[in-house]
Amino acid sequence: MKKLIYILVAVVAIALIGRELKPTQYESDFDIESFAELPVQVGGRIKPLDSVARNTLLVLSARQKVVNPEGQALSPIEWFMDLTMRPEVADTYRVFKIEFPDDLGFAGLAEQGQRYYSFNDIQPYFNELHELYKEVNPEPKKRSPYEKQIVDLNQGLMLYHRVMHSLHPIGNAERLDSLVDEYATYKSIIGPGMAELRKQQAGEAFDSKILNGFIFFGDEYLKLSKTAHLSVVPPPAPVDPMEDWKNIGLELLDVMKGEGLSPYVTSYAALTMAYRLDEPETFNEEVAELRQRFIGDFPTHIDRVHFERLFNDTQPFYLSMQLYVLVFFMVCISWLCFQKELSRCSLWVLLAAFAIHTLGLIARMYIQERYGVFVTNLYSSAVFVGWGAVLLGALIEKFYKNGIGAAMASLVGFCTLIVAHHLAMSGDTLEMMRAVLDSNFWLATHVTVITFGYSAMFLAGALALVFGLLGIFSKRFNKETALALSGMVYGIICFGALFSLVGTILGGIWADQSWGRFWGWDPKENGALMIVVMAAIFLHARWGGICKERGLMALAICGNIITAWSWFGTNLLGVGLHSYGFTDSGFLWMMGFAISQLFFMGMVLLPWRFWRSEFGQANSRKQRKRILIAAEASETEA
Amino acid sequence: MNPIFKFFASLRLTVVLLAFSMMLIFFGTLAQVETGIWKTQKDYFESFAVVWSVPEQAVLHDALFWLHIPMPGGYLLGGLLFINLIAAHITRFKTTWKKSGIFLVHLGLILLLVGELATDLLSEESQMPVDEGGRSNYSQAFRDNELVLIDRSHPDHDTIHAIPSKLLKPGKTIEAPGTPLSIRTVNYYPNAEIGRATNGQTADSPATQGAAVKMGIVVNPKEEVYSENTINTATAYIEVLSPEGSLGVWLVSNVIDDRFPPQMVSLGEQSWELALRFARHYHPFEVELIDFKHDKYPGTEIPFNYSSEVMVHHNDSSKNQKALIYMNHPLRYEGLTFFQASFANNDKTSIFQVVRNPGWVLPYISVLLMGLGMIVQFGIHFVKFLGKRSA
Repeated sequence: MKKLIYILVAVVAIALIGRELKPTQYESDFDIESFAELPVQVGGRIKPLDSVARNTLLVLSARQKVVNPEGQALSPIEWFMDLTMRPEVADTYRVFKIEFPDDLGFAGLAEQGQRYYSFNDIQPYFNELHELYKEVNPEPKKRSPYEKQIVDLNQGLMLYHRVMHSLHPIGNAERLDSLVDEYATYKSIIGPGMAELRKQQAGEAFDSKILNGFIFFGDEYLKLSKTAHLSVVPPPAPVDPMEDWKNIGLELLDVMKGEGLSPYVTSYAALTMAYRLDEPETFNEEVAELRQRFIGDFPTHIDRVHFERLFNDTQPFYLSMQLYVLVFFMVCISWLCFQKELSRCSLWVLLAAFAIHTLGLIARMYIQERYGVFVTNLYSSAVFVGWGAVLLGALIEKFYKNGIGAAMASLVGFCTLIVAHHLAMSGDTLEMMRAVLDSNFWLATHVTVITFGYSAMFLAGALALVFGLLGIFSKRFNKETALALSGMVYGIICFGALFSLVGTILGGIWADQSWGRFWGWDPKENGALMIVVMAAIFLHARWGGICKERGLMALAICGNIITAWSWFGTNLLGVGLHSYGFTDSGFLWMMGFAISQLFFMGMVLLPWRFWRSEFGQANSRKQRKRILIAAEASETEA
Repeated sequence: MNPIFKFFASLRLTVVLLAFSMMLIFFGTLAQVETGIWKTQKDYFESFAVVWSVPEQAVLHDALFWLHIPMPGGYLLGGLLFINLIAAHITRFKTTWKKSGIFLVHLGLILLLVGELATDLLSEESQMPVDEGGRSNYSQAFRDNELVLIDRSHPDHDTIHAIPSKLLKPGKTIEAPGTPLSIRTVNYYPNAEIGRATNGQTADSPATQGAAVKMGIVVNPKEEVYSENTINTATAYIEVLSPEGSLGVWLVSNVIDDRFPPQMVSLGEQSWELALRFARHYHPFEVELIDFKHDKYPGTEIPFNYSSEVMVHHNDSSKNQKALIYMNHPLRYEGLTFFQASFANNDKTSIFQVVRNPGWVLPYISVLLMGLGMIVQFGIHFVKFLGKRSA
């Protein structure tokens, strides 16, 4: 039986890990992996096309897959290939997520239970959508959910259109099938076209056919330069990594200035034609050539770009999230049966999940070239808060070996990764840092330490919650467990106090270094200070014996509210230097969280007689005895 | 023990004061949405008491307009915590190794509070804009103004008589030291909108001299604003008096600056330029901006670097210094710190934040003390905890 449990857990864990870590296999003769690694400059960084495909899809569909009308699931890059090279097919894929299609009031659009719609589904309603969009409140913060949906859809369509035009001009099938010829014609017409144009301007006789052909291209490529979303054309060698890349349209226009047409442009045209004609061999040759050219121009970047695609493909945080769920369930079951085996298993799985979580963080550092910097934005802070909580929880588990540390570690880890997952919906999570914040030393020290402080406070709050839940509802909760739990809460709050204080003060020093003010009462600074004060209140209340178990646990749960306020609430205010992420629905979540925590605080403050546990009942009896003695004493006095 | 002393030394007081501090910080954060950081700081943290009410633009204002929450201000809480801490150390604390960490933390805390108070009271912030290739020997405040009389008769230097705007109280007469003149404030507006009188609007102004008369300028007083990156247009009507009598009333304002022809006050042979301007601090050195750089990440508008290459020319040329001022790397010079704050004029002008803060090292020392104290204290706890477990 014991062996069976070990085997069962191992099978489940390995199945989970295997499913996520296995690289996606494409059943295609086209070399999709290599295409996915073609470079593009976005947000100041060189990334693989794969990242762009994923982020675009996240913005449009809030997920990373597309189901085609035949019911097959496509990966983001396959969708991207169809979008740019076979737009007539991509237009049938349902990629636009519309949460409440009925609300739009487009007769005939909404399908029962369907939240995804294709470009072709929406196209008949463009005029109506445009009319609705004109009515929307111009102030983004004051828009209703209905208006937001209209704006989101409108922006989604725009993005779709612009990404579609990223690799070459888009036109009918005939045009897409002859892109290489089009560029050749264009190049050959520039010289004569310019000559005719000069003649026209000088008032001489000119060949209107040549001139019109030339002007047609000029107009087309000017439009394209404004539409094309991606900068896929690197400057000619020798390359300076700080130089701007061009989009296809701009590169084509600049040929008129006498610059040669970049081979990247012609390669993408040839690629497209091969893809459309279903000629994998030509396609693969072109991709390989593009790749070699990129390696030649940017020899130090190819590894990072390749790695980023693998990182995208494995999604380590998603995997550790699943493993944390597994741990949590195993610990819960272990409290009922198979205690020894399941706790041992849960610790091992927790460590595996933690290792994967850690690898994910290191991978992000490598991609961003910021070693030691865990947190660069709200998204990564969520990932790191979870990581810190798991680390502390695993330490607790090592000392107490009763499953509580592991359970709470996995719970906090899971919750924060869920938060991170939702924060990632807005697109790229590996952004560049603005100049003021661009200091690896301070990012690695101040931000890391303070975020670790959040982890500790959340873990302490979660442990206090367990104290309340077990104490009130579980008969088996005895004095020993109670002492151990309150010891854990105390220890973790000590950590929280240390890290929050040191982190806050490091932040002060950073502020002093960068704008001459040690302390500016900025909302984020205030939030951090509130955590320090909260921890100080807990510690002083404990040392002074001012609060006993229930009061202390309520204070620890209150720490959850304060920490959430410091982490998210202050960003909602939209003032100050630190507001690096604004989310509107965030406000409702924040309120909901605060109310739930207030409820739990009320719960742990219930008088002892409502506590069903052994520990609670004993306290209740003690209290009653004390009251009786006091009453007797006053009687005898009287 | 004296019960009053006992009260001030009690841990219960500590906890209560900390709880109030948290409340103050929370509401002091909320209030910033309406009044901006600068005013909130004055109202909440540099005060003895404050009352919070629901801001007018908040969603719940209609339902909760009656709600006013009074609370102790930063100086009061800081002061009481300070007393509490000292009293506790006198009465309860015995200097033992076991408590050494706590002692260090508290010592650091005291230094931090003292340092923050010193910063509040002593630090001066001003800005120095310099053009590329140009030099500047002064920095200017962005909230304080001064009324100046400038005597430009000397070929080598100007003589400036400055009166802080704080002293410009309507009806008050002040002698301008070093001149035969005195000035009487007819009216002073901390913030105003000034513009030309439009048709039909009579320039109902007390001014009898200078730009206001020539250009028909009218003044509309406004409330002072405090949010970041906004300035108050301080404006005043000033009557200049000579020993023989009034010379007239001038309109002065900090927006009537170098862009306009100077407003002159003449008495006999002598004449002075009259102006209200942002208070200037003159330095015994000139800062020359050699080059300003504003780099962006490729293909984006995200700033990646701002830096200013400067040469400081001191009156005492042995103190001349070349420096590169950029993000997180200020120049500390002659008790002042120069930070890269902003830029203007198509990246041709760099703006430095100039801070004089004599107490700037105190936080650094307190950080070391507190960090060390915490590590010692929790270290002792942790070792004890490990000992207990292995036993």
